[in-house]
Amino acid sequence: MRNPYEILGVVPTASSADIQKAYRKLAKKLHPDLNPGDKAAEEKFKEIAGAYDLLGDAEKRKRFDDGEIDATGAERPQQHFYRDFATSDHGHPYTDSSGFADFMDSDDAFAELLRRGERARANRRGRDLHYQLPIDFAESIAGANKRLTLPDGGTLDVTIPPGLVDGQILRLRGKGAPGAGKGGPGDALIEVEVLPDRRFTREGDDISLELPVSLSEAVLGGRIRVPTPTGDVTMAVPKGSNTGTTLRLKGKGAPRRSGGHGDQFVKLKVVLPKPPDPELEAFVSHWDKGKAFNPREDSTS
Amino acid sequence: MIMNKQEFLSSAGLQVQTLDLWLEQRWLIPEQTSAGANFSDMDLARAQFIRDLKADFGVNDEGVDVILHLVDQLHGLRRALEQMHKDIQGSSS
Repeated sequence: MRNPYEILGVVPTASSADIQKAYRKLAKKLHPDLNPGDKAAEEKFKEIAGAYDLLGDAEKRKRFDDGEIDATGAERPQQHFYRDFATSDHGHPYTDSSGFADFMDSDDAFAELLRRGERARANRRGRDLHYQLPIDFAESIAGANKRLTLPDGGTLDVTIPPGLVDGQILRLRGKGAPGAGKGGPGDALIEVEVLPDRRFTREGDDISLELPVSLSEAVLGGRIRVPTPTGDVTMAVPKGSNTGTTLRLKGKGAPRRSGGHGDQFVKLKVVLPKPPDPELEAFVSHWDKGKAFNPREDSTS
Repeated sequence: MIMNKQEFLSSAGLQVQTLDLWLEQRWLIPEQTSAGANFSDMDLARAQFIRDLKADFGVNDEGVDVILHLVDQLHGLRRALEQMHKDIQGSSS
């Protein structure tokens, strides 16, 4: 980088007011957004802005004058100027064609060209509108029909496909902002948030659930009802099941994209009766084999 | 990138009162959605431009109004010119 005093065209003894004045004079001429057609303006502007960042700040200027810092590092980081967006082909709310409206009124070829361009813009497709929709876990697995209330009071009916994942975006064609002229409407883009569930968790296509079972169900086995996101099912608990025993309900998970379903894994948790049962206490106190069994034998030795 | 109001305030380095004033003046016109205003990179660049005008160039609010109006017209003209350029190229080839 060149000497910042040279860039701003001031002497090293210039007052801070002079520096500001010099910067403003240059910046007004060179700001890229005031010179949309001048490609070189951006580089020149960055140079003077960088010089002003250094000299416009009394502290930094002093350190520069004392030789503590040099002019490198004073360059501004990459910045996008407004002009980079303003002429884009996509419609934007700042469009203004009043600067040449009068030229379009005549009958000649020039006016026709202008009108053609305006027509192309006038028939632009409407914007896509973005919405957010929270749904329950069960709805994300089984699918659902939801109604979204829009800020303008209207509603949108949204079909949640079975097996949807958190953050998935649904596109409703033609439900966005109306287009101009013959340009069709944009789309509604709906980002679906799956609310966490206190029972179920999902991993890929599989669903996990922790299910409490009684001591007698665990010891003797039996048939129990198990909730799944698509409704209760009956499951056989084998004799001698334990806390942590995991059983698989085949095909009760989320739908797979390739067809079929994932599985639901049911992790059992043995729960003793509440309040403590005197009969059970009496049995266990006389149960010698039970007392002789040490479940920590493996882990503590 | 799409930003909500909070993200936009921190990206643009603006106070909420300043932004509300700019929105009221319609210097910035973010997209309205069910979750509030959505700001685009274009809005961010425009805010930066307004900031440069006010902070660095000493332009007052009335001046910003005039400049934005003229700059928007200038871009409209540039777009019309560009379109015409394309049309002429298309018809001559």
